[in-house]
Amino acid sequence: MGAEKSEVLQGTLDLMILKTLHALGAMHGFGIARRIEQVSEDVLTLNEGTVYTSLLRLQQKSWIVSEWGISDNNRRARFYSITKRGLKQLAVETENWERISGVISRVLAMEVEP
Amino acid sequence: MMERLLVFAAKFRTFFRRSTDDAEFSDEIEGHVAMLAERYESQGMSAEDATRAARRQFGNVTLLTQKRKEARTTMFFSNVARDLRYGVRQLLKTPVFTLVCVLTLALGVGANTAVFSVMYAVLAKMLPVNDASRVVYVHTSGFPVGAYNTGNYDTSFSYAGYRELREHSGLEEVIGFIPMSASGKSPVRSGAVPEEATGDMVTGNYFSGLGIGTQLGRGFVQKDESDHAAVTVISDSFWQSHYARSADVIGKTLFIKTHPFTIVGVAAKGFEGTEGRLPLDFWIPLQNHPDFNAWGNPVEDDGGSYLTIERFWCMKLMARIPAGVSNQQALAKAQGTFQQAAYLGIAQKRAGEKIPQLSFFPAKQFDMQDDSSARSLKTLMAMVGLVLVIAMCNVVMLLMARNANRQREFSIRLAIGAGRREIARQLLTESFLLVTLGGAVAWVFATVATRALGAWSRIDSNLQPDATVMWFTLSILVVLALVFGLAPLRAAMSSGTELALRSSATVSQASVKKSRAGNAVIVAQIAMCVALLVGAGLLLGTLRNLLKIDLGQKTNGLLVFGVRPQHTKSKDESLAFFAALQQRLRAMPGVESVSLVDNRPGSGWSSNNGGMLIDGHKPNGIEPTEAEFRQNTVGSDFFHTMGVPILQGRDFSDADTATSQQVIIVNETFAKKYVGTTNAVGHTMTNTKGKNPKLIVGVVKDHKYTSITEPTMPMRWNAYTQVGLVNVLDVEMRVKGDPMAMLPTVRKFMREIDPDAPLLQPMTQTEVFQQSISQQVTFARLAGCFGVLAVVLIATGLYGTLSYRVSRRSAEIGVRMALGAQRWQIVWMVLRGSLLLTGIGVVMGVPLALAASRGLASSLYGVKPLDVASYALAIVGVTLVALAASGLPAGRAGSVDPSTALRAE
Repeated sequence: MGAEKSEVLQGTLDLMILKTLHALGAMHGFGIARRIEQVSEDVLTLNEGTVYTSLLRLQQKSWIVSEWGISDNNRRARFYSITKRGLKQLAVETENWERISGVISRVLAMEVEP
Repeated sequence: MMERLLVFAAKFRTFFRRSTDDAEFSDEIEGHVAMLAERYESQGMSAEDATRAARRQFGNVTLLTQKRKEARTTMFFSNVARDLRYGVRQLLKTPVFTLVCVLTLALGVGANTAVFSVMYAVLAKMLPVNDASRVVYVHTSGFPVGAYNTGNYDTSFSYAGYRELREHSGLEEVIGFIPMSASGKSPVRSGAVPEEATGDMVTGNYFSGLGIGTQLGRGFVQKDESDHAAVTVISDSFWQSHYARSADVIGKTLFIKTHPFTIVGVAAKGFEGTEGRLPLDFWIPLQNHPDFNAWGNPVEDDGGSYLTIERFWCMKLMARIPAGVSNQQALAKAQGTFQQAAYLGIAQKRAGEKIPQLSFFPAKQFDMQDDSSARSLKTLMAMVGLVLVIAMCNVVMLLMARNANRQREFSIRLAIGAGRREIARQLLTESFLLVTLGGAVAWVFATVATRALGAWSRIDSNLQPDATVMWFTLSILVVLALVFGLAPLRAAMSSGTELALRSSATVSQASVKKSRAGNAVIVAQIAMCVALLVGAGLLLGTLRNLLKIDLGQKTNGLLVFGVRPQHTKSKDESLAFFAALQQRLRAMPGVESVSLVDNRPGSGWSSNNGGMLIDGHKPNGIEPTEAEFRQNTVGSDFFHTMGVPILQGRDFSDADTATSQQVIIVNETFAKKYVGTTNAVGHTMTNTKGKNPKLIVGVVKDHKYTSITEPTMPMRWNAYTQVGLVNVLDVEMRVKGDPMAMLPTVRKFMREIDPDAPLLQPMTQTEVFQQSISQQVTFARLAGCFGVLAVVLIATGLYGTLSYRVSRRSAEIGVRMALGAQRWQIVWMVLRGSLLLTGIGVVMGVPLALAASRGLASSLYGVKPLDVASYALAIVGVTLVALAASGLPAGRAGSVDPSTALRAE
């Protein structure tokens, strides 16, 4: 693995999954992994299995629900979709993230005092 | 918070589908990996490389699965499951300990539940009426001079009074009901066989006013009362037993006292009437036919009945207070109306007379003014409470002893990293297991015991434990579980980790503090046991005295049953019926003699009278109006049949008829008190105006009339042929052998005489008298049982604790013996300890017993609260039990072999 790739921050994976399900509707774990991979353009390294830990956590909090169905290539797969409670949470987390990332980028943008 | 709950719920759900989740998850992962592999293959990799790459990309499957297993459910559940498994194993490992604990708990908790059920039902349970807080029983302080009553003097009102109260008292509803007979029972027939059933005649607003619904058909309406309609509402249990809950019961005919009544409704389930201990089978509206006079009394010669005689107080009343009015306000308002109405039909209010006062009592299941049974129940409750405390102490001591043996286990667990919380949880789990087992057995025991208690106290209505009782029991159980779990906790914790490394010889130095706590428990137990035994002793002494009382008659071999002719229309017909009946019964094989009686001896019923002149003068100097006596109306051969010795003169005979000379027989007390000599035969008794002369033809020995415990009273007997109309008489029948064995023959015989007349309450005369003390008997027997129970518990507790102490001290004993101590010295050392404890316990128990017996004083008969024998027996009993319980362990201590004991360490 190249040193230029970054580890996924704890907790951000949850947010990414919620957003993905919000944007694209019901998906299975494989699809979610693909989507994150695609969006992150290989910047993030991710053991795809980690997605499932995150999915279980989200499910226990009733932010997403799952249902067995048939995938595009005719495989039995579990499809996850976001719930109302999840949507609310997504809004809260998005706002949080934006605030924090704004602070961080402002901090990082500080010039070295002469 | 909400989120936490959701997560907990999700984890809880997953706990039950762990294996499904495992399978599903592995499916999901396999699918994912397969899809990844397909993707790599389509990018041109070989199948083998693609699979490998897919696995690498996916990550460590085993690790992921493990993580999921931990995350999907909480450890709490699996921990509890593990604790439970471990707890069960612990209990199974010591089966005797478990059995003793469970049985002790079952007896202690079960007895409490049973007594509480009965106490709750009798003292606290409300009638299942709508808005019960506004419904009351109406009582009076008495009835005016000039009126007369049937039933209890404080619950009887006249029909006229009822009408007035209903119209003018301002009460929302005034509800009246009248028993069909003195026993509450009356002859009914639903099919071919006549039988007895309990019923009340009620006012039209009975169901609507109380707010009792019907599960089928309708209740009564006002029109039913004013028309005296021939309709009836039956109870749920009568519906069940006679019509198998069939819905087409409505419209069927039920014959009551041979009159046809149409069934129009079935009362709501759970409503058994308003007669307390007697559950009712049916209700009918107030009737005006002569057969339905109040309490089954015969109507007057002029046809006067409860509806027309304003001085006849016979009706029980309940009332509903208007909404928004307090009981006191309602009572104050009704009082005036009542005090006016009370004098309806009475020509003149006597000067200085106490005017009857109305009062209201809450609508409980039992309209209990009888303090004695309330007090008995409370005493019993206190006794079982003590038993429970003793039982609890026992189990705690057993648990502590057992857990002390497990100290090594606890310290090892602490040493290898168990938290104190884990150990506490483990102990609590074990105690909950134990208590659950005990509780389950206790509930079964309580159900049986409640039924037995109900039968003993002659309460027929439903007493089975309900929700309130269940909460009571559950809360006891939870408290017990906590005590049992937490009491041994300190001991377990105090061991600390270092104990695991020590040898047990050092452990054997039981700390003084610990044994001091145990000693305090033993002393308290012994003190309570002394108090219980003294109480039991006093009550059993009472019982012995009651059973020893001479009845003055030979009740053995006597069968008694009531007969009510169903087809006699006049006094003459009725007299002829009974005369013929007596003749025919006399001719039955196996019958020695037969007589008739109005008030069944021993049943508590009595006619009380007063006012007389003897030979035209004041009776022996007593004011004529103050000469009171009890009386009974009987048939020929009465004293001969009852086995009462005749001191002078003769028995009644068949020659004493309506037209022959009016004769009476009196008892010794009557003769001495009012005639001045037992030679009373030949004197004449008249009423205070010198009318209605009756010749005394016999004097009989004093004997018991209403009950076993009654004091001797002046008694007079009339011949039934020479008094007014009688419509029910009891037959007294002296037979060879067992009286009850005669019953089928008598029944068959009676059916030939009158197919509509059932035998009323057939039983042996001995049984009648025994029932008059059944409450005291039950009370004493139960107290005895609890005393014995307490002793058994104390014995097991002492034995367990001492055995345990001896086993812990075996090393010390070994050393002592090795140093030359004699066997008897060792035995004495152990015995001395327990004797000392017993001594202290007894000393502390005596004041407790004194307090208890003072409380019992009113329930005693012929025994003083400071009965020396009872105290001595209790003290000797406890000491003997303590000696026996400590003797075995002491003997074992004496036979410790020093070399074995020391080597074992």
